[in-house]
Amino acid sequence: MNRHFAGRNIALAAAVLFATGAARLAAADDLPKAETILDKFIDATGGKAAYQKIHNEMTTGAMTIAANGISGTLTVYHAEPDKSYTEINIEGVGKLMEGTDGKVAWSLSAIQGPHVKEGEEKADALRTGRFNGELNWRDLYKQVQTAGTESVDGKDCYKVVLTPKEGNPLTHYYDKQSSLLVKSTQTAKTAMGEFPVEQTLGEYRKEGEILLPHKVMQKAAGQEIAITIDTVKYNVDIPKDRFDVPDEIKALLNKK
Amino acid sequence: MWFRICVLALAVACAGPAADKNTLTPAARQSNADSFEYVWKTVRDKHWDPKLGGLDWQAVHDELRVKLDQSTTMEEARQIMQSMLERLKETHFHIVPAEAYEELDKPGSREGNPGIDVRILEGQAVVTSVDADSPAAARGVKPGWQIVRVDGKELAPALGRIQESFAKSTLLDLIRTRAVTSRLSGAAGTPVKADFVNGAGKPVALSLDRARPRGIMARLGYLPPMYFWTESRAIRPGIGYVRFDIFFEPEQLMKAVGDALKSCGECRGFIIDVRGNPGGIGALAMGLAGWFMDRQGLQLGNMFLRANTIKFVVFPRPQPFRGPLAILVDGCSASTSEIFAGGLKDLARARIFGTRTAGAALPSVFEKLPNGDGFQYAIANYISQGGKPLEGIGVIPDEEVKLTRQQLLAGQDSVVDAAVSWILKQKN
Repeated sequence: MNRHFAGRNIALAAAVLFATGAARLAAADDLPKAETILDKFIDATGGKAAYQKIHNEMTTGAMTIAANGISGTLTVYHAEPDKSYTEINIEGVGKLMEGTDGKVAWSLSAIQGPHVKEGEEKADALRTGRFNGELNWRDLYKQVQTAGTESVDGKDCYKVVLTPKEGNPLTHYYDKQSSLLVKSTQTAKTAMGEFPVEQTLGEYRKEGEILLPHKVMQKAAGQEIAITIDTVKYNVDIPKDRFDVPDEIKALLNKK
Repeated sequence: MWFRICVLALAVACAGPAADKNTLTPAARQSNADSFEYVWKTVRDKHWDPKLGGLDWQAVHDELRVKLDQSTTMEEARQIMQSMLERLKETHFHIVPAEAYEELDKPGSREGNPGIDVRILEGQAVVTSVDADSPAAARGVKPGWQIVRVDGKELAPALGRIQESFAKSTLLDLIRTRAVTSRLSGAAGTPVKADFVNGAGKPVALSLDRARPRGIMARLGYLPPMYFWTESRAIRPGIGYVRFDIFFEPEQLMKAVGDALKSCGECRGFIIDVRGNPGGIGALAMGLAGWFMDRQGLQLGNMFLRANTIKFVVFPRPQPFRGPLAILVDGCSASTSEIFAGGLKDLARARIFGTRTAGAALPSVFEKLPNGDGFQYAIANYISQGGKPLEGIGVIPDEEVKLTRQQLLAGQDSVVDAAVSWILKQKN
């Protein structure tokens, strides 16, 4: 999970369609280039050198669907170059897990069983699994474009459309004043269909040398999910098998 | 889904025959007008089909609002709002009388029961199963016994009224059954008097304690707690059987099914019994189906919300069971049970035995109206993979098999027997 694009993989996300408007709006001369906005964001959140000191991380937090009274805990492991593992525990539901070892992207839960991601769903999971994705956005997106400005919760923001090598584009909103990412929208492509996902990021605080959002509100498929980050630890001892593909997923892969 | 159905049952069970004949006060008129507008706007703004199937909703409003303003009794006003909803020609849009809705505000008051399950067979309330170690079992109650009275009140008149009101509804069995079980239920530790007719045709009057229901208490968010249990056994060597009361507790449910499949060994066939199962977590239909599907990319159906469509995709397990699968259903199988059974029937993966299901597969919610009545409305439509909605239609078994009182008294389950017979005829 990219730190600032947090929660995107929880919604099994991808991107948002903004192509037509983006091309037209980007012609405005007074808008900064998207590359500049993205690089400024890295500077504002700690700088390239601070990011490069981190080789893995473990994040814990909580998730809540307030309207339905559903809550759970969240644990995310993430490591160079492209490994991630997310586990959500919800009372009455149990464990929801997903991850990637850089080659295979999967999800596993008692509700739905084991699932090997394919196509754009896989591409999105692999992209989200790239460690320090914020820093390495040039490797992940074939095009980035400033698409205009928009107010988000009273903050003037630059709207940046990021088009990945595979899959739909996503749109980020960067606060003009702070250069921080405050909102992103995307259309998540999943095996169960396409769902527009919107997330707002707030309560930025420093964890080590990196400024991170600690509250993410996500809207998808009529649900509003609040994610709260409690702890972030860098360069920790992660169990060796943490990113191993689960046996049930291996068994599915062996059938192919 | 189960909650919605419970309300309907209570509405029928608790509503008295006498309508409110009093002339409405100005305040009551205003609250009915506010309620009317709320119902109308909610359907306009939240129904999954913004065009409401081409219905001129504004015209419906204008026509019926005039009538509402002329209504002189609460019952008349309620009927006008109900008739507005009936223009949608969909179930699960209901005005529930306030007195029935108020019953729901007493959490826990109906938690205990004597440990018997009931169905209405040929118009009679008949015990279909008795929980082991339950108060009913301790007092010798047996499957096949008829229940005539509960706490001194005859069941026949209430069952007759329901029969008249819901004769054409797929919900008939469910509502009649709940009308009986709700009378038997009450606070744990309290007694209920039940008058039976036993297998020899003799009356048996018993005072049965109500006990905590079978299983573990399962919770999910704001849903009221429910009791969850599973049972599995080999019906005979090589034929596995699993039954569970609700689609809850995913990890336990999936483990129970996985263990049952493992213990089936050289499994010739498998039976999943969702009779009386009112549903639960909808997505569990997909997870359960994954134990029995080998092909990727298949789905049980689609759930249509106003803004999104959710595909009910099946993710096959690594080693699914590929042999004959029988699913047992009845008129009290609803919601997730129907999504599961209907989807696997449409995919030609399972053969369905029993009687038509409840046709109650829409997710719906309840709200209170300004006049105190309840308002039930669905928020999504569900279309099974065969292209037909389950709502109002249900799952029609491949083999219709009805329970009979005589068979129950003889210790037989004709639905299970039919499934076993079919499995034994299948080639391995």
